[in-house]
Amino acid sequence: MTESATESFAVLGLFPSADALMEAIPKVRASSLGRLEAYTPYPVHGVDQALGQRRSPLGGMVFIMGVLGAVAALLFQWWVSAVDYPLVTGGKAPSSWQAFVPIMFEVMVLFATFTAGLGMLLLLNRLPFFGHPVLGSKAIRGITRDRFALAVEAEGEFDPAAARAALEAAGALEIEILPAHPREPAFTAEYIQRSAAGIFVACVVSGLLMYSMVKLMPALPPMSHMLEQPRLDPQKPSAFFKDGHGMQLPVAGTVARGFLPSGLAAPEDGARLVNPLPMTSAVLARGRTEYQIRCTVCHGALGDGVSTLTAAYGAKPANLLAPAVRADPDGVIYGTIVLGKNAMPSYAADLPEDARWAVVHYVRALQRAQNAKDEDLK
Amino acid sequence: MNPDSASLPLPEVLRAPSLTVGQVTPGSLDDQVLRFPALAPPRKWYVALAFTLTIMSIGLVLIGYTFYEGIGVWGNNSPVFWAFGIVNFVFWVGIGHAGTLISAILFLFRKRWRNAIARFAEAMTIFAVMCAGIFPLIHVGRPWLAFWLFPYPNQRGVWPNFRSPLVWDVFAVSTYFSVSLMFWYLGLLPDLASLRDRTDSKIRKPIYTILSLGWRGAADHWRHFEKAYLLLAGLATGLVLSVHSVVSFDFATSIVPGWHMTIFPPYFVVGAIFAGFAMVLMVLIVVRETMDLKNLITDFHLEVMNKVILGMSCLMGYSYAVEAFTAWYSMNTFIQHTFLNYVTGPYGWAGWLTMSCNVLLPQLLWFRKCRRSYPWMILVAMAVTVGMWFERFVIIVISLYNDYLPSAWHAYKPTMVDYGILLGSFGIFFTLVLLFARVLPVIATTEMKADLPGAQPRHGARHD
Repeated sequence: MTESATESFAVLGLFPSADALMEAIPKVRASSLGRLEAYTPYPVHGVDQALGQRRSPLGGMVFIMGVLGAVAALLFQWWVSAVDYPLVTGGKAPSSWQAFVPIMFEVMVLFATFTAGLGMLLLLNRLPFFGHPVLGSKAIRGITRDRFALAVEAEGEFDPAAARAALEAAGALEIEILPAHPREPAFTAEYIQRSAAGIFVACVVSGLLMYSMVKLMPALPPMSHMLEQPRLDPQKPSAFFKDGHGMQLPVAGTVARGFLPSGLAAPEDGARLVNPLPMTSAVLARGRTEYQIRCTVCHGALGDGVSTLTAAYGAKPANLLAPAVRADPDGVIYGTIVLGKNAMPSYAADLPEDARWAVVHYVRALQRAQNAKDEDLK
Repeated sequence: MNPDSASLPLPEVLRAPSLTVGQVTPGSLDDQVLRFPALAPPRKWYVALAFTLTIMSIGLVLIGYTFYEGIGVWGNNSPVFWAFGIVNFVFWVGIGHAGTLISAILFLFRKRWRNAIARFAEAMTIFAVMCAGIFPLIHVGRPWLAFWLFPYPNQRGVWPNFRSPLVWDVFAVSTYFSVSLMFWYLGLLPDLASLRDRTDSKIRKPIYTILSLGWRGAADHWRHFEKAYLLLAGLATGLVLSVHSVVSFDFATSIVPGWHMTIFPPYFVVGAIFAGFAMVLMVLIVVRETMDLKNLITDFHLEVMNKVILGMSCLMGYSYAVEAFTAWYSMNTFIQHTFLNYVTGPYGWAGWLTMSCNVLLPQLLWFRKCRRSYPWMILVAMAVTVGMWFERFVIIVISLYNDYLPSAWHAYKPTMVDYGILLGSFGIFFTLVLLFARVLPVIATTEMKADLPGAQPRHGARHD
């Protein structure tokens, strides 16, 4: 093999022991032919100093990241526990920092560990890297086993022959010249096509997977345990009842709360009834609410019978402010609500007992408001 | 460490013991340890694997049954809501602690004998923590929602309660697993490079190439690597002490009589190391016998480990004594009742079993003969494993089933599903151990090479 300066990456000399390596380093270093690097099966004490390598900066990095982890954990726990979601447990203050110490410690260790491990591998050692010439050398089998290699690596003007001579003079058993790999362009058309195809395939596969997961997962038994319980759901059949329906009609004659039959045959029969509710602002408020829901649409907001539905609706709603209605006792208005009158249907099913009387009070209030006298202002 | 020790005229007792038997060179070490991944496993390995896989599948089927039916198939019920699930969790996390102690704390103390056993112990740590992690996961009842344990922004607008030791536990155990994995992998990296360069197999070579990340043993890399390893050892040391302390907080910060004690954190850490060493010892005996590694894992190693077990056993005895003293000195009838219940109640046999297995039987190790004889040390190690499992049972179940309100007292009875899942966790653990033993280097060859006689230069730069 021809030894041309542009093609070699390094000249590698193999030594049998750590002692031999340590003795060779100063000799080869003195001739300053290129950058020196040792390759050993295990860490050999003192090699880094002999090669003039600086101390590892990892300690400082780990310290900074550890402190960062601790501070981040403390701030996060404080923000969560005292600001975003204050939760009182055991009568402790929301910002009880003592309780945050264990997680602070763990996160500190976690940050520091990943900095030490990954920082060492990825950042300082630039691994993973599979293209290094030494990995392709014959010597690597010895280097990871029991041989010690000293490499003179090309740096500026490199003379492999001189490096070889220097290593031989220093006692190297074997010499190997490592060729430099020509650097290939990073983004070739083929590379881009392959990447695009890879991304496309990944998208299709993950999309199909996601689709099948969404279709399949809700049906998996453990996921729906909360829904599937031994209980009767609405609108579901049941073998318990003879008719097979899970939902049963109330027994004939059942009376719902607030819907006691009035026993009235006509609205006028109610004349003997007395409004059981006091006229308080709460009752009037309830009456207004119910009136606005049930009555306004026909009788109008003021009770004057001016309906918003007049155009579409042939009947003429009663004017509640008319003297005839004003003269009616409370019970007649109540009876009209319960039974209906002319085109007006019964509202008994919509308004419970107390709501009907509250509406009666409100109608009285409307009547008085539209016929106010001077003494009402006093 | 000190290459001059052989030439100094030290009396025999002061000389550093030889950590290997016979001639061991870096090359022979590789040939001996790294040949296993390339060899076809023997028949007995397959038999063992079939056995552990069977046990594992029993456990997995029962876990599946628990998922399907719900947690009601276990014996847990009011007031003993924490039973086998938490007993097994604490037991397995504890087993893991020996590995970290060996790999991290003994590394910081420059105990060279750790090198031979560190790799296996670390692997066992990882497998034990994996087994441990299963239990809280299935104990939450709906494990597909277990991610709720982690604080992440969600549309419900709620966060975990950071004052709860259970949340501390999530952080401690997941950090412990990540750190152990990182520590293990970093130590493994140069060994994987050795494996890569030994093999020409079309299958194994690419796998080792990728796993070793292109490690090439450059001095420039070693200086960062050694620093990282030292830092990780320091971090893992703090971590290993914190993890079981946090586990003990699950109990100690509550007001249950028998749990609310300040001795708990150190007591739990000691118990963890104790149980872990017993397990490591048992597995290492099998490994050194079946894989013919007696020249690397020597009788000296076993003896030192037995001494650690003995020391931890004495500390356990001390912890039990402190517990008894606290119960008496507290003048609190509830604590006194619970403590008496440990030894006289319906589960009193468990209390006595715990104390005899953990404190009395290991005293045999005071005798050199017992520290060096397989039957005795296996007896002690098995007793410790059983005793430490029952210790957690005593702490959890006996404290819970009789606490303050007599109207709430209720006896606890485990079901077959409980037993099956416990058995299954052993199946998972030993399956992983068996696979590890055949796939990856069982001894940290790189670390051992660096400490063989003559490995380090005599005329090198200063030692630190």
